[in-house]
Amino acid sequence: MRPDKAVVAHHFEAMGTACSLFAVGMPERRLVDGERWVHDLASRLTRFSADSELSRLNARAGEWVEISAELEAVLRAAGQAYEMSSGLVNAAVMPSLLAAGYTRTLNAGATAVMLERARPAPALPEVLHVRSALARIEPGACVELGGIAKGWMADRLCEVMGPNVVVNLGGDLRANGAGLHGDGWPVSVAGVTLLLRDQGAATSSVRRRRWGCAHHLIDPRSGLPAETGLEEVSVVAASGFEAEVVAKTALLLGPELATAYCSRNALAWWLDGHHDA
Amino acid sequence: MRPVLMKVAATVLTLGATAASAAFVTSHLKNPGAPLQPPVLTGTSALGGAVVVGPSVQPTNQPPITSTYAS
Repeated sequence: MRPDKAVVAHHFEAMGTACSLFAVGMPERRLVDGERWVHDLASRLTRFSADSELSRLNARAGEWVEISAELEAVLRAAGQAYEMSSGLVNAAVMPSLLAAGYTRTLNAGATAVMLERARPAPALPEVLHVRSALARIEPGACVELGGIAKGWMADRLCEVMGPNVVVNLGGDLRANGAGLHGDGWPVSVAGVTLLLRDQGAATSSVRRRRWGCAHHLIDPRSGLPAETGLEEVSVVAASGFEAEVVAKTALLLGPELATAYCSRNALAWWLDGHHDA
Repeated sequence: MRPVLMKVAATVLTLGATAASAAFVTSHLKNPGAPLQPPVLTGTSALGGAVVVGPSVQPTNQPPITSTYAS
């Protein structure tokens, strides 16, 4: 008799990175539907398109703007990330990203680095206000959702697709269910394979997405690309969103505090970097 | 007369405590400009060491289906 259970996989590019979907006992067309969901939402949340819902919100700073339920949820997640990290994960760092030359997708290449224009980021709750179906950004501020959106989307797509699914959006990952053998989904985290079940994982790194003297991870306290002594942090947490926030917070805390922070906030973790920051 | 005095005293005490609490809280509002740092214990770092795995995550020898590669 032919077994009706098998892992189906689907790989694609979205949000400038590699994405993968896995499921047990599910027709592949469901995974293709998942890819469509990712592309649709990514096109609304990107800052690299002037037509995106996020760009229109940024362009109308100072006004209350009608927003979709999805953008409202991700903006609220950004506020939650700010609170969880005591302000280290701050969606209001976008002006510093632009000063660092991250003005367009890195496939198109970074533009001139003008770090002298970088400033400490404002407190997110002071510049981003979210109500039911409405949002307002203070004049002079703008937000970018980057990794927060990927972690949130991985969690949400897992819920949408079914009970035994893995969603990996550029390293922001959520594993739901028991996998093929009933003991969890085998996922490589920092070179070690871990069985994840209803958990998320993420890696935050400054080793990729680098150009010249700059990289993509901004320290909101200085407005400059982070140089904390940590270069890469991998984390397993209760969700993809939480893993993304904890990994980024730990990297920004630096080696002296990250271990204690991860021991309180992560289910598994790995830190790499150097001590002489 | 004495019960009335006791009631008045209790009321004054309650109002006084409320006012003092309000004054204390108002003068100790969280400063949004304070240095950003989550409340963690100081700890030693273990850079480049082994992956630290808590009790709710199990390592395995199975081949991984995917990884949290940095993007």
